[in-house]
Amino acid sequence: MTVVGIDLGTTNSVIATVRDAQVVVVPAAHGGYLHPSVVSFAPDGLKYFSREAVARRILDPKNTVYSGKRLIGLPFRSDEVQKAITRLPYELREGHNEQAVFVGPDRNYTIPEVSGLLLGYLRQCSELFLGDTVVGAVITVPANFNDAQRRATIDAGRIAGLDVLRVLNEPTAAALAYGLGQNMSQRIAVYDFGGGTFDITVLQVEGDVFEVLATGGDTFLGGDDMDNALLNILAELFHAEHGIDPRSDQAARARLLIAAEQVKRHLSDFPEARGELKNIAMGGQGEQLALRFHIARNVFETAIRSLVGRTVQTCQEVLASVGLAASQIDEVIMVGGTTRVPLVRAEVERYFGRLPRTDLNPDEVVAWGAAIQAENLAHAGDNLASRAVLLDVTPRALGIAVTGGFAERIVDRNVPVPVEQTRIFTTSADQQSSVRIQVCQGESRRFDENVPLGELELSGIPPARRGEVAIEVTFRVDTDGILRVRARDASTGVAREAAVNVRGGMSDSEVAEAVERQKSNGDDSSLPELKEEILEDPQE
Amino acid sequence: MPALPPDQLATFVQQMYGKLDDLSYYELLGVSTGTSQPDIRAAFYRVSGDLHPDRYHALADRELKDRLETIYARICEGYRVLTLPDKRAAYARTLAEGKKRLTSTERESNRPQNPEDSIKHEEAKKFFRLGMLSLGRKDFKGAVLNFNFARSFEPDAAIIKQKLGEAQAAQGATAKPGGAGAK
Repeated sequence: MTVVGIDLGTTNSVIATVRDAQVVVVPAAHGGYLHPSVVSFAPDGLKYFSREAVARRILDPKNTVYSGKRLIGLPFRSDEVQKAITRLPYELREGHNEQAVFVGPDRNYTIPEVSGLLLGYLRQCSELFLGDTVVGAVITVPANFNDAQRRATIDAGRIAGLDVLRVLNEPTAAALAYGLGQNMSQRIAVYDFGGGTFDITVLQVEGDVFEVLATGGDTFLGGDDMDNALLNILAELFHAEHGIDPRSDQAARARLLIAAEQVKRHLSDFPEARGELKNIAMGGQGEQLALRFHIARNVFETAIRSLVGRTVQTCQEVLASVGLAASQIDEVIMVGGTTRVPLVRAEVERYFGRLPRTDLNPDEVVAWGAAIQAENLAHAGDNLASRAVLLDVTPRALGIAVTGGFAERIVDRNVPVPVEQTRIFTTSADQQSSVRIQVCQGESRRFDENVPLGELELSGIPPARRGEVAIEVTFRVDTDGILRVRARDASTGVAREAAVNVRGGMSDSEVAEAVERQKSNGDDSSLPELKEEILEDPQE
Repeated sequence: MPALPPDQLATFVQQMYGKLDDLSYYELLGVSTGTSQPDIRAAFYRVSGDLHPDRYHALADRELKDRLETIYARICEGYRVLTLPDKRAAYARTLAEGKKRLTSTERESNRPQNPEDSIKHEEAKKFFRLGMLSLGRKDFKGAVLNFNFARSFEPDAAIIKQKLGEAQAAQGATAKPGGAGAK
């Protein structure tokens, strides 16, 4: 029985474990260590994963889900999901409890279910490679993931049959991988630019203690945005030559997007990229039209400069929030595939005034840290555990709705977790028998400008005049960054507790159902050739 | 120091849990009132090594874990208050009043986030923002005008009065040399 660390990424996932005090990364089918975070659904219920699923993004774009991390834990009607819909070729619909659900060929799937299928696949890959059952996992999330996104990630793990030991912030995991056993005394910044998200986290590392001083970021800014910028460049080249916009055709768009990603990678190593994509569209005489392109790095850089600029601005804001200047950072660690883009490295170097560290593989470092923390938690209390202590913080403020459309803050942003705070509220009307406590996450004084997380209701309040009832509301954020809310009618001395109904999340019974479904489909024929594939030479 | 053995942890939690409100942040961190900020941090790191909930992840006793988390959360609160100078000053007053925990509103930081957050009336807020923009452009006359408009909607807002005062003072300071030149 073993535990693993999983970096469940927007574009790729990485899975690692600790064996004989060494971190081992589980190789991916078809070589390398990156498992593309893609699941493709066939009408007969068969699922394709990873590299095989990537190929199906072109063959069957409507049934192939990628970038699921951009959707997880968000209500269907959120701006983020609505924005994603315009760019994704697969269909999303509003399901039960405001969830976004993927319309599959056989049935609808919630996003945690899709991620759960992917995690189940990763689990099988690990079990085949390690020759051992995987029981528990630490799954990493962007530091600025909100409560609902964290809960949905835990649900995905449970659906995959994993005991989710912890959801760990990606930058904290990276810092752990980087600093453990180095006996350092440094203030470090983790610049994490992945496929779909950007985070900046400042930590103080003192020996085995990793204290997060501040964190901030943008959940909707990543390498995908660069791919889209390149897609537009390619599409406009084609349009200029043939007068046809290839973006209107789903299959052509999917191919251009994949080409865009390859061009991006190429431009990280070379000053220009040339190529030809055949059969992009059909011309007036029924002839096949090809796209020939020649893109110089500086053209790409002009297109992405504002994206990179946004990350630097976020760095400034986060440092300012703890009263630090860029020059007071001892080391900058680069995490995430997007940090391979030369312009990103150059801008980070310029802002911090020092060369960023890239010696640990930016794609794998988060999974390394997750594996170390998984081992720590699994062996908590016995002497196999390292002495590392991770002191993390709340990424956003938390509060509840009060009269006048305001949000009353209960927990601040960037405070150490666990945190437990109690505030006393009262009723706003005479003879009020119940109160609805609406919970939100964000810094704005106005409730509407924050992210609504859910609500709980406290009923059975004895009749009283307005303002004469004292309702104690307690927020506790645990080391997972998960919020628990308790409400108590203090005036009667009777304790009443209620669970928050998370907006856009799966209910417990839905998760239980999905777990059963996944179990019954267990290691069936949906992964026919996995065994052979996983035994291929990973260096190939 | 590694995690405490289970029986020792149980005794410790039992002792601490009931009297959490009777212990000062200094007592929780095991430091004296004059301890410097770096030493408070070092003490917090030491205590975290023993009491961080991760150390007891495998513990089966849910209630014990829950109580430990409450205790440790209070220690985190103490660490935060004592390492932020304005909060530490506020806490000195709290202790002088014979209380051990900073009031919930004082524990929060940086409130309000934006200067206009304390203004309730929408029109007042709008003119206040315009006033701040004028102030930024060093258009003090415009700032005075806008802050006065803002005040007409919400006469009691302290922040409007304060900024109006600043704008008037700046206007006075720049008007004098300008006026002299005109003569």
